[in-house]
Amino acid sequence: MVTLTLLDWFWLIMFMILMVGCGVLFYRLGKRSESDFFLAGRGLPWWLPASSVYATHTATDTPMWVTGVIYRYGLSGLWYTFFSAWCAISAFVSTRIFRRSVAYTQAEWNTIRFGGLGAEMLRGWIAGWQVFMNMFILGWVGIAMGKICNLAFGWPTWIGLVLFSSICAIYVLAAGYWGVVMADFQQGVIALAIIIIVSVWGVLAAGGPAGIITKLGEMGQSWRLNPFAFTGWFQGDFPAAWFITMLVIAVLGGFGMGTSIDWYAEAQRIQSNKTVRDASYSIWWGTLFVLARNAIWAIAILGFFVLFPNIQETADYELGWFRLGFEYLPVGMVGFFFAAILAIHLSTISTHLNLGAVYATRDLYKHYFKPEATEKQIVWFGRIATFVLLIGSFFYGLTMEEITSWLIFALWLMAAGIWLPSILQVVWWRFNAWGYLASWIANLGFSWLVVWILPAFGLLPELLDYQQFWILMVLGALIYLPVTFLTRPENMDHLVKYYIMSRPIGWWGPVKKEAEQRGLLNKIEKIKS
Amino acid sequence: MAWIKRKWTTAEADEWTKEDWLTIVISPIAYTLIMLGIALSFLLLPVGFVILGLGIIATIVMHKIIDPKLKAISDEYEKKQKDYILELERSVRWEDENE
Repeated sequence: MVTLTLLDWFWLIMFMILMVGCGVLFYRLGKRSESDFFLAGRGLPWWLPASSVYATHTATDTPMWVTGVIYRYGLSGLWYTFFSAWCAISAFVSTRIFRRSVAYTQAEWNTIRFGGLGAEMLRGWIAGWQVFMNMFILGWVGIAMGKICNLAFGWPTWIGLVLFSSICAIYVLAAGYWGVVMADFQQGVIALAIIIIVSVWGVLAAGGPAGIITKLGEMGQSWRLNPFAFTGWFQGDFPAAWFITMLVIAVLGGFGMGTSIDWYAEAQRIQSNKTVRDASYSIWWGTLFVLARNAIWAIAILGFFVLFPNIQETADYELGWFRLGFEYLPVGMVGFFFAAILAIHLSTISTHLNLGAVYATRDLYKHYFKPEATEKQIVWFGRIATFVLLIGSFFYGLTMEEITSWLIFALWLMAAGIWLPSILQVVWWRFNAWGYLASWIANLGFSWLVVWILPAFGLLPELLDYQQFWILMVLGALIYLPVTFLTRPENMDHLVKYYIMSRPIGWWGPVKKEAEQRGLLNKIEKIKS
Repeated sequence: MAWIKRKWTTAEADEWTKEDWLTIVISPIAYTLIMLGIALSFLLLPVGFVILGLGIIATIVMHKIIDPKLKAISDEYEKKQKDYILELERSVRWEDENE
């Protein structure tokens, strides 16, 4: 249990004033228009959304998730966190294409890329799924905060969940995305500072870098220092085949939109940049900081392993990094540590409150129910949606027990069947709305069947997650490819309009040719090197 | 790097060229090197500093290759953005799709 001193309380109170004050400061900007409430007026320089990318993806559950995989697999567990590297290619491909479309959301982009009834159904589907998913993410991040408060102060878990998400909602309700992104900047700086401080402190507590290396050797655990310590090509619980699968998913996923659940939050950041160039750099640099942060954490967790090598329960060792902070930082710094945990927590909560609200408002309320809504009505509906998401997240949070298994399922397997279709929609002109919609519906059924239901009835053996990924990818293709070829291509007028606006990469030959024939493209001589 | 194009017309920058593909290859390599480099440097292993240095060099090279093109795309595109947004508001209306 942690006891806070006067200096600890000083840090905490100062931080809370700073946080909520942000909402008040940007209240007037946030309420100006829909564009301001959800995209900060599309006028931000790259470093602000970049800090938001970093801060958003540094959630309360993230150190638990990173600790879980590093404690289990050593430095090779870093590859579990490498999924965010989809931004390596995305920053220069799908980010560029998406920013040129000027769509507010991925659901809206679907009606720009596709046309007709199929596109409308897709938009409604994605928007509804995103409202649910953001509520779900708010729940699991919120309950992670509940667990930390339980560890530190002995509070029942629901208090940490409800109290801090509610405080966060104050500035999100007031200032919308302006409040989110401005708070994210300061939260990102505070979070990075404390991550470095606690990690250095933890490494020193474990005997310093040399001490960790020596002790791991003495324990016969030196393999934990090797980032490529796999258990064989296909054998064991961490084979190289898993690593190759992860690289394919993470890196090639950058050609698509929606290959990772993080795409939807990044899409909002992409559109809030003032130029295409800013959008690319915001995604690239924000993610670089995420990867750098994971690397710093990883070494601290090696230190934690040296200090506490025999923890068996996942739910116990997941809290390793927090224990380093609460148990090893000096008096007076614990309050700063907890303030930084709040920064980490609020940055993610605020993003998903506003992100869920943009889908509920822009794609459902405005698009389907009240197209003639005024800017004022839209902003107010955005606030109502934010509040509903907050309440819904409490329900989800209280139903979750273990963070890691939910994250692996959500980050990897729920995306398996739509991974390739999410790329095809960007790179292949012939892929249509019906094919993409079919892939979503098929994946929803297949992922639950393959991961839980069939193994539970003994109809399928327990498979490793990378095996499940490939199976789900093939099963999905058996549905969406026939659907695509059995239904008509998108209307050529619609495709030409999209092509001119977005200039997509890949197999767009027939559309480009049509655009040229219509005189809409300037033919370019082969670019001289 | 004379074979890397430094000056772009807006029409040229709209095409996907070798500069894009070079960036697509270098970018994940830079991420990998920096992530591993930071982790191993934090353990004060010499190989970590070497890997981190290579990652930083890869990042600088990537930036040199793609930045002129991104600037050209942005300059042209931002002039059109207002019209694009108006067009977007019109084109995504469900009523219009059915007309």
